[in-house]
Amino acid sequence: MQDLGRPTAPQLDSSSSATEASVRNTQTQGGTPAPARERRKPRISETPPAAPPAPRLADYESIIGKSQLDELRFVASPLRGKRVKMVNSTAMGGGVAEMLNRLVPLLDELEIKTGWEVITGGNDFFEVTKAFHNALHGGEFTLTQQARDVFMLHTEQNRKRMSFDEDLVVIHDPQPAGLISSKAGKSSHWVWRCHIDLSHPNQDVWSFLRPMVEQYDAAVFSSPAFAHSLAIPQALFYPCIDPLSEKNKDLDEKYIQEVCDNFGVDRSRPIVTQISRFDRLKDPLGVIKAYKMAKKYVDFQLVLAGGGASDDPEGAVVLREVQEAAGDDPDVIILELPPWSALEINALQRASTIIVQKSLKEGFGLTVTEGLWKAKPTIASAVGGIPTQVIDKHTGLLVHSVEGCAYQIRYLLTHSEFGAQLGRNGREHVKENFLMTTNARRWVMLFRILSSSNA
Amino acid sequence: MQTAITPTTVFSTVQAKAPFEFKSAAHLLFIERERASSIDELLKALQSCPEESIFQHTFRTLEEHHFIKEGFSNDFAHWAYTELGEVGLGERLASLDVREFTSLAALRARLVQVVEEFASENPKSRERTAPMPFYFCSSKTIVLQTQRHAANLLEFIDGLRQVSLHSIHYHFIEARLRRKLESNDFSIWLLRDLGLERESALLNHIDIYTSTLEGVRRKIIQILQNAVH
Repeated sequence: MQDLGRPTAPQLDSSSSATEASVRNTQTQGGTPAPARERRKPRISETPPAAPPAPRLADYESIIGKSQLDELRFVASPLRGKRVKMVNSTAMGGGVAEMLNRLVPLLDELEIKTGWEVITGGNDFFEVTKAFHNALHGGEFTLTQQARDVFMLHTEQNRKRMSFDEDLVVIHDPQPAGLISSKAGKSSHWVWRCHIDLSHPNQDVWSFLRPMVEQYDAAVFSSPAFAHSLAIPQALFYPCIDPLSEKNKDLDEKYIQEVCDNFGVDRSRPIVTQISRFDRLKDPLGVIKAYKMAKKYVDFQLVLAGGGASDDPEGAVVLREVQEAAGDDPDVIILELPPWSALEINALQRASTIIVQKSLKEGFGLTVTEGLWKAKPTIASAVGGIPTQVIDKHTGLLVHSVEGCAYQIRYLLTHSEFGAQLGRNGREHVKENFLMTTNARRWVMLFRILSSSNA
Repeated sequence: MQTAITPTTVFSTVQAKAPFEFKSAAHLLFIERERASSIDELLKALQSCPEESIFQHTFRTLEEHHFIKEGFSNDFAHWAYTELGEVGLGERLASLDVREFTSLAALRARLVQVVEEFASENPKSRERTAPMPFYFCSSKTIVLQTQRHAANLLEFIDGLRQVSLHSIHYHFIEARLRRKLESNDFSIWLLRDLGLERESALLNHIDIYTSTLEGVRRKIIQILQNAVH
């Protein structure tokens, strides 16, 4: 491993145990797609690296400023000694666990004693909760009595196993929602944090869960569009990124260059990048069409980087279609990266001239937040939570079509001052509204508001 | 040897009648029941929503988007322009200056009047539906003592440099709702406790809609530094 002068070394690896990241193009012969052509053979670690230690509160001072950090400590000060319990369904993997890994130590450091527990259950329970999850996103599902019984049985087992003596209890997502029955007779405050899109839920499943949800003191949603007319207050917490995580922290220029060299990205020419899974809803084929339209007028490279092709059959099909659409164009660089490529993705974003997110459907779109945080001019579809982040012509450019995307690429590549202004505004927008420290502040505020309702 | 005392140093360090106490405010967003997809629904929701929603979508949104210096005024104007496609309504709503209002009731009445007038002048606009509804939110506020005080002008300038933009917003923009006066905490203190009539008035003339909040901070400091020199 090369010494890059940083304590958490990147996973670029020249040792023989490393695997080759997939960086391919295709050749088209007589209209028939040919097998993928190997462009380069970059190497990337075969296994996930050890997680770096969580940052301390003081580490954020250089990012948000002393006054904001002091204010966070000040807002939290009346809660000193209070005990909080967070409960979710998984300790590893997924955005909720990732967020809790960062949030819990920060709350602890604010002297709010915060514990984190994970519910347990058999395969039958997690099959039911996965079906609930899909149904709450609007999927078809028939709620049987057996499914209800499995859900309630495991909820009861978890309830008996866990104690709830804390002042505040936060239950994340539907899987542990039934634990609310442990609130009976206690003066503690309970919050249901819903991370999923509830805008068009399966009515059977929602009718089953709703009476549980309405026993909480408050619910928290990621978007007003996800909320429902509930009998309890509903707070709005936008999803957030951690500016000190591998995905978002500042990187040495040397490392960025090394990643680009390794992936065959030429930094002397403009780079337009979309980071996302190979998923139809991210419209990678639309991005290639936009690239081809814009390329008639301006010279640039297109980087499409993400995962999802190795663990998802549909993703593999999409990746193949993307490779076919790219043909043998050496300026279209397609990277299938493993899930532990946070540093490489960070470097690619930082090396980019423009970030694109041309999704057809989107949750909040944290890849957009990441691009904005890196002060990159961003072109993104006006779907899901993206318009909350990309305020058209202020923090980025919103598009509604392939043609719109192509035009804005041309425009930004020829108006760098305007792009730089969008980038500066975008970073400020994230700093004010979508950072982990803002998230911690929101939790502290909610705890204070709930605690004061005791009086 | 005696140190020469210049008129400037005397003036800038003269003790105020009472110190200025810098405060700040933390806000938490809540989702309300009201939603609007058309002008008629917007009108109805504007009339029924809590005052905290009027505050959130006008005063507070300025703070949340403090880094934008042109073309962003309030959430209602932005939605009318970008989602409803009613540029005329967007312009009229955007022209509202929150500093002309010392109560949320008066601001609500003005918003209702603007939308009503536009709808009656443009009846076809009532048929238009926005692809993305306007979701009414509200803001709960906790006021924070920052432990920072200023007993004279120099300390005040130093404090302005150190406090967060939330503090600037709290004293300079939100203050009029608290005080029910067309002024701000800084101007009132400068006039009442330091007798700086001119500077007090100059601060009140800073255009918050053509500057970022950081720019507003710089302008305030510049005006006060000019007074020192």
